[in-house]
Amino acid sequence: MENKALKEKLKKQIIEYLNLIDVEPDDLQDDSPLFGPEGDLGLDSIDSVELLVLLEREYGLKITDPKEGRKVLEDINAMTDYIVTNAENY
Amino acid sequence: MSCISPQETYCEEIFVDGVEVLTEKQYWAKEPKYKGMIPLNLLRRMSKSVRMGVGTGMPLIKKYNDIDGIIIGSANGSIKKSISFLNQIVEYDEGTLTPTDFVQSTSNSIAGTLALLGKIRGYNNTHVNNGIAFESAVLDALLLFEEGEAKRLLLGGVEEISQANYNVDVLRGMFKKEDVDSTNLLFSGTQGTVSGEGASMFIVDSEKSVDSFAKIVDVNQVCFPSKEEVVERAIAFLENNNLSPDDIDGLFLGYNGDNRTDFYYDFLQNQLFQDKALFVFKNLVADFYTVSSFAMWLVASLFNGKNLPKETILRNTNKKINRVLIYNHYEGTQHGFILMERP
Repeated sequence: MENKALKEKLKKQIIEYLNLIDVEPDDLQDDSPLFGPEGDLGLDSIDSVELLVLLEREYGLKITDPKEGRKVLEDINAMTDYIVTNAENY
Repeated sequence: MSCISPQETYCEEIFVDGVEVLTEKQYWAKEPKYKGMIPLNLLRRMSKSVRMGVGTGMPLIKKYNDIDGIIIGSANGSIKKSISFLNQIVEYDEGTLTPTDFVQSTSNSIAGTLALLGKIRGYNNTHVNNGIAFESAVLDALLLFEEGEAKRLLLGGVEEISQANYNVDVLRGMFKKEDVDSTNLLFSGTQGTVSGEGASMFIVDSEKSVDSFAKIVDVNQVCFPSKEEVVERAIAFLENNNLSPDDIDGLFLGYNGDNRTDFYYDFLQNQLFQDKALFVFKNLVADFYTVSSFAMWLVASLFNGKNLPKETILRNTNKKINRVLIYNHYEGTQHGFILMERP
């Protein structure tokens, strides 16, 4: 799968898992931080757990190291790269 | 007080356009726009019951100071989230679970969320005992007042429809098989009723103030009585408050159109209240565990000078209603009485 298609799929999954209200996939910029004051989604620590669950359920990827998790969940690009590098199927 | 129900009740001027006729087998609550009322990052995680509870409770918390505690009656709580959480345990073989469904899966998530948002760190309790959950919440409040443990409380009843529970209840004959609209529901003469949901919240004070417009005098509950025992209980309940049936001006009855259990209401009113005004409410909002909180909201609205819609009046005596007895039961098993009067 092309990274572009994967990113589109991932954005839809993020919206669904986090139940983001009034947010469309196009509203999620690939390089915008998902967390922190620079991010415009207002995500918090519970959301980070939801995203880790998403990676495990949808892509079979289990992240147990918090440092690694922080890097992987930085933005859409980082999540996509991690999936492409580590997932068997995506 | 504040109310979200299958009717347009989340507004100042209620029933100005009359009562909406409902035709589905589930009467869904008309939820307001929560945007601006609840922060979006909280709203997106909330179950329907929590949304309705916060939507009705928070405006009251913001308006009234010094609330000592929160008492909610909610038999099912966030039942949809609970079922989702349980399904996930099975589906993902007891693996990693999403935290949101877990957080929202407890019955007391409504009272808990209200406490967190409103910073009310005092007494916080949720009663879940099915058809008398709200009556138990009222009793809890009255006892706290009696013991001098609180002066002002947020009291409410909240319930949401869960499709999974609805399907189970259909199989066991709880709901009607045929289509019946709300105008014909109460006297359909067939088995079963229809399913409803909603939230009603009240600020209750231990002492009368200039703002008081209704008084909850007493509450009582009984399980598995015969119709004769219901009458005996009603007499004893009124006597306990130095009253007789003759002192009651209006009776609010929980008729739900189920020909297997509505006889309790027929028997009580024929035995004790033959010449009294009679009111109904489940043709507006259907039946659910804490529907008596909606009945209380109707009575309080009446005492607050609102005109109740004609659909609620079963027998009019053209006499001013100063004292009311609400009698409701759930499936003929759990029966509750709430006595209210003008302050």
